[in-house]
Amino acid sequence: MSDLELSIGDRRVEPSDDWTFAWLDADHGIAQLGRGDEQAIVLIEGAGSHWVVTVRGRRLMVTARTWRERTLADAEVATRSQAGPLEIKATLPGLIVAIGVEEGSEVTAGEPMLTIEAMKMQNEVRAPRSGRVTTIAVQAGQTVATGALLLRLG
Amino acid sequence: MTPPFRRLLVANRGEIAVRIIRACREMGIESIAVYSDADASALHVQMADRAERIGPPSPAESYLSITAILDAARRSGAQALHPGYGFLSENASFARAVEEAGIVFVGPPPATLEALGDKLAARRSAADAGVPIVPGLLLPLVDATAVNLGAVGFPAMLKAAAGGGGRGMRRVDRAEEVPSALETARREAISAFGDGTIYVERLVSPARHVEVQLLGDRHGNLACLGERDCSVQRRHQKLVEESPSPAVTPAIRAAMFDSARRVVSGIDFHNAATVEFLLDADGSHYFLEMNTRLQVEHGVTELVTGIDMVAWQIRVAGGERLTPEVLDIQPRGHAIEVRLYAEDPYDDFRPISGAVGAWRMADGPGVRVDAGVGADTELPPQYDPLLAKLMVHADDRPTAIARLRRALDETLIGGVPTDLGFHRWLVDQPGFASGAYDTGIVEDVWGSGPTPGDADLELAATAAAGARRSVRGRPGSRLAPSSGDSAWGRLARREAIER
Repeated sequence: MSDLELSIGDRRVEPSDDWTFAWLDADHGIAQLGRGDEQAIVLIEGAGSHWVVTVRGRRLMVTARTWRERTLADAEVATRSQAGPLEIKATLPGLIVAIGVEEGSEVTAGEPMLTIEAMKMQNEVRAPRSGRVTTIAVQAGQTVATGALLLRLG
Repeated sequence: MTPPFRRLLVANRGEIAVRIIRACREMGIESIAVYSDADASALHVQMADRAERIGPPSPAESYLSITAILDAARRSGAQALHPGYGFLSENASFARAVEEAGIVFVGPPPATLEALGDKLAARRSAADAGVPIVPGLLLPLVDATAVNLGAVGFPAMLKAAAGGGGRGMRRVDRAEEVPSALETARREAISAFGDGTIYVERLVSPARHVEVQLLGDRHGNLACLGERDCSVQRRHQKLVEESPSPAVTPAIRAAMFDSARRVVSGIDFHNAATVEFLLDADGSHYFLEMNTRLQVEHGVTELVTGIDMVAWQIRVAGGERLTPEVLDIQPRGHAIEVRLYAEDPYDDFRPISGAVGAWRMADGPGVRVDAGVGADTELPPQYDPLLAKLMVHADDRPTAIARLRRALDETLIGGVPTDLGFHRWLVDQPGFASGAYDTGIVEDVWGSGPTPGDADLELAATAAAGARRSVRGRPGSRLAPSSGDSAWGRLARREAIER
């Protein structure tokens, strides 16, 4: 199993050779894993190195990287400065109800920057790291789709 | 049997619209769906005989618009209208407008909706009928400083008279908290219901939430179709319902049924309604509120009684009498329902919009699924994130729990997080298995859920490795992310965006 490195969150997880793997419905990502008289049916979504595996109703984000991908990713991390520009995008569609920062504002990691309302719930978008807001790409009252650029951190 | 109506308009969306359309189909009634622009290709629109557009996605301009829905009803020549639950189902002005248009409203009379829709008024009328109510005040709370809340006792609950769905509710533990809690509750109530009237009740805790199902005809006959226990809740909204309640003894049941009948004894009542009670640790029950409509969880009652409640709602609306079989019904076995919501139970049950990918529902003996969506369905962010209700029925409670566990393991939903993991956890909880749980089970015992166990992590890693190898081994596989607009491709793109 040395060809792939698997991790869930920050944790390295070793896949097990004891389980057999078989697709039940490959088009929909439904697979059966078996070990002795144990069996489990899981839903597998994703592609490449990023997978979401639903086990007992819970979605677990699994990174499965080859040696080549790992090397490339490490190189990218090394060249990407912590202070480099960062685009913040909407992770869910909704209505921008409030913007708590202005262009030029200094934010610290974890600080709420704007609020998106979806399904009658208010969701705060927080700064993933400290920095200065260089661009605000949306206005309060605007509806955004998933993936829309919200703002840039310098 | 001649159907009571030729054509019925279903003034709702999602799984409940589908449920009503199915009843119409079985009864030989033509069904008319309504839809907003966000629902043009929704399941209920596909299933109905005809469909009428009622407006843009915003609920205020579509499913909550009395004018738009009445226009659709007139246009389609509907003779009756079923409001489902939520939206306009308990709106007395709507029911009145429907009847004035010469269309039969499938629900209690407008005057009853009016009298019981105001929770404070309902509380007063229950007290007048000799039904025990939660201790508290019988007048609106106008000014926090002018009333001695010490007499009510703390902790107390502030509640909206026009309330529902947990909105306009605030817990207060000390007198000092009342003014700001009152302000927040009032603001929330005004924005949700357009009415900021707030009242106060003592908090009963620990408590169970148990409700009694009533069904009446237009000839004064009233059937009591048993109780449902709805104590598994988050944000004061139900997640799991079962019947019978494991906490209700024959003596408690008799007392609750008597109270439920009393609540409607003095008023003009027909069709379906639910009387909700709090049951405390001593087995005393207190009237909480009345829901003058079909409940989300009506299927639980259908499973234990064998009665089609939606069909009966339509039949009694058409003037038919309840039969002796319905009036003397003896529930059989045990039924449990879990609500499958697009929300993340590991993140405070945050609602999720997006698109459902894979969709495989449980099947087999004693399993019923009422769904409003299917594979590859977009979930509009404007509406409630309920995807489906998974119900099981068995001879007794332990067998029903085992059946539910089996059914949950068969159920697979892709594309969005759901509360499946919570339900799978719940069925293995000793507190749930023993039946000795209360309304605190989600907040106190689940919290934000357990961290995933090593066995699950290993399984997930093994599955991902297996999937990746199998895709690599078959270059022409449809699992490849390049395959057009599949759920796979969408997911891959979304993951890339979130990264």
